[in-house]
Amino acid sequence: MTKLAVLVAMLAVTGGCGRDGADAGSRPLTVFAASSLTEVFPELEPRARYQFAGSDDLALQLREGAGADVLAAASLNYSAELHDEGVVGQPVVFATNRLVLAVPEDNPGGIRSVDDLSAPDVRLVIGAEGVPVGDYTRQVLDNLDATAVLESVVSEEEDVKAIVSKIALGEADAGFVYATDVRSAEEDILSIELPAEAQPTVEYTIAVVSESERKTEAQAFIDLVLSDEGVEALEAAGFGTP
Amino acid sequence: MRWFQLLLIIACAVVVAFLLLPLVALFLRVSPGDLIAALGSGVALDALIVTLKTSAIAHLLILGFGTPAAYLLATKRWRGHSATVALIELPLVLPPVVAGIALLSVFGRLGLLGETMDVLGISISFTQAAVVLAVVFVASPFFVRQAIVAFEGVDTGLLEAARTLRASPWRVFSRVALPLAARGLATGSALAFVRGLGEFGATIIFAGSFRGVTQTLPLAIYGELDQDFEAAIAISVLLVLISAALLTAIRWVPSWNPFTLTSR
Repeated sequence: MTKLAVLVAMLAVTGGCGRDGADAGSRPLTVFAASSLTEVFPELEPRARYQFAGSDDLALQLREGAGADVLAAASLNYSAELHDEGVVGQPVVFATNRLVLAVPEDNPGGIRSVDDLSAPDVRLVIGAEGVPVGDYTRQVLDNLDATAVLESVVSEEEDVKAIVSKIALGEADAGFVYATDVRSAEEDILSIELPAEAQPTVEYTIAVVSESERKTEAQAFIDLVLSDEGVEALEAAGFGTP
Repeated sequence: MRWFQLLLIIACAVVVAFLLLPLVALFLRVSPGDLIAALGSGVALDALIVTLKTSAIAHLLILGFGTPAAYLLATKRWRGHSATVALIELPLVLPPVVAGIALLSVFGRLGLLGETMDVLGISISFTQAAVVLAVVFVASPFFVRQAIVAFEGVDTGLLEAARTLRASPWRVFSRVALPLAARGLATGSALAFVRGLGEFGATIIFAGSFRGVTQTLPLAIYGELDQDFEAAIAISVLLVLISAALLTAIRWVPSWNPFTLTSR
């Protein structure tokens, strides 16, 4: 049942609209951030209002005119595209991540490496195409010359947290997620490192939203993320920093 | 009293506009050409097939178990009767996400029945069976609730008359109660079916999303949202059209049974 509690908590965090700021009257700074940053940003700056979701969903919402001040995406591509369209300012790389192969704590599929994923009856869950974690996964498998394991995929999720929860609940035998996600669910999930040469470049970028009415505060938030304090918080959560 | 009439008209206009405007906007965002092109894409077609297949199976289960259950609930009273009815209706107000987690805690690998099923070699999550269960769970209350009302609306005098003519309970049910309740049952059936087509939350948690297997129309819309916005809108329009057609059709179903007219 603790696993269910984890899932409920994850859904509450990723699905909710974040916390409210401290000062009444003025709208708090609104930060759109990739799901994998859920554990880092609120601790770094509790007064901001957060929306955590897949970077692709956040990009879509910004294009549709959602009122945010800062975008922190789990991919360079989305921020670059949005920058070209004039939706956000110049993106800056603030963190890096790497992919791991995650399995439930009791490892029912007996998975020890990527090679084991091709065994029959293995239930592999990955990100859908177009979702950063899904694209990175395909890149890793390509680098390892192991695209055949895609045959074992039973579900393509729209959000890395959905992959994590399906593994934590023991429904899936394995999945590709960010190293930082395993750290936040380490009671229920084991991670298997992937060969360094197969790793994609996972860069997190942060940018001010062009239509923001609080650009100074938005920039201050970005400076905080890039400061020593920010670097420390990111590294404590398992991120690499540029 | 003219002001009151005016008030009613304004309120009605607000309700209609609020409910219809988003749907109209959806149609305005996609040209018929785009719609056909997007529906010709494999994703939409695969999702349509998965949706129709799982909904059809789920619907047979709902009708097969729901009709007799509703008949019993409508014709007999016992201790805890109203509690039973209330519990059956609970999934109506449950957030779909909760429904998904609840289904996992029964049928998931670590769920109540998970180990037993594991021994039997049955695994439900990530299969079409999971989609069917999710649809049955969220949609059946729509049918059962309506069916209870329909059976309760049958003139008990007619049922009594059939019994005094020595009709067996099965005959009373199949020849008298069922035809008389048919219209209400059809309405409930259509509502449940349409609700099932739109099922999203429980499915994505319990069944996952995989093209051609568990990716239903609503899941395909969610999946395409970031890939191809036009396609997402086109599939949405398709879903709206199917649902609207079913809901309209049920209004036009003639009350084919003469008893329905005379008993009112």
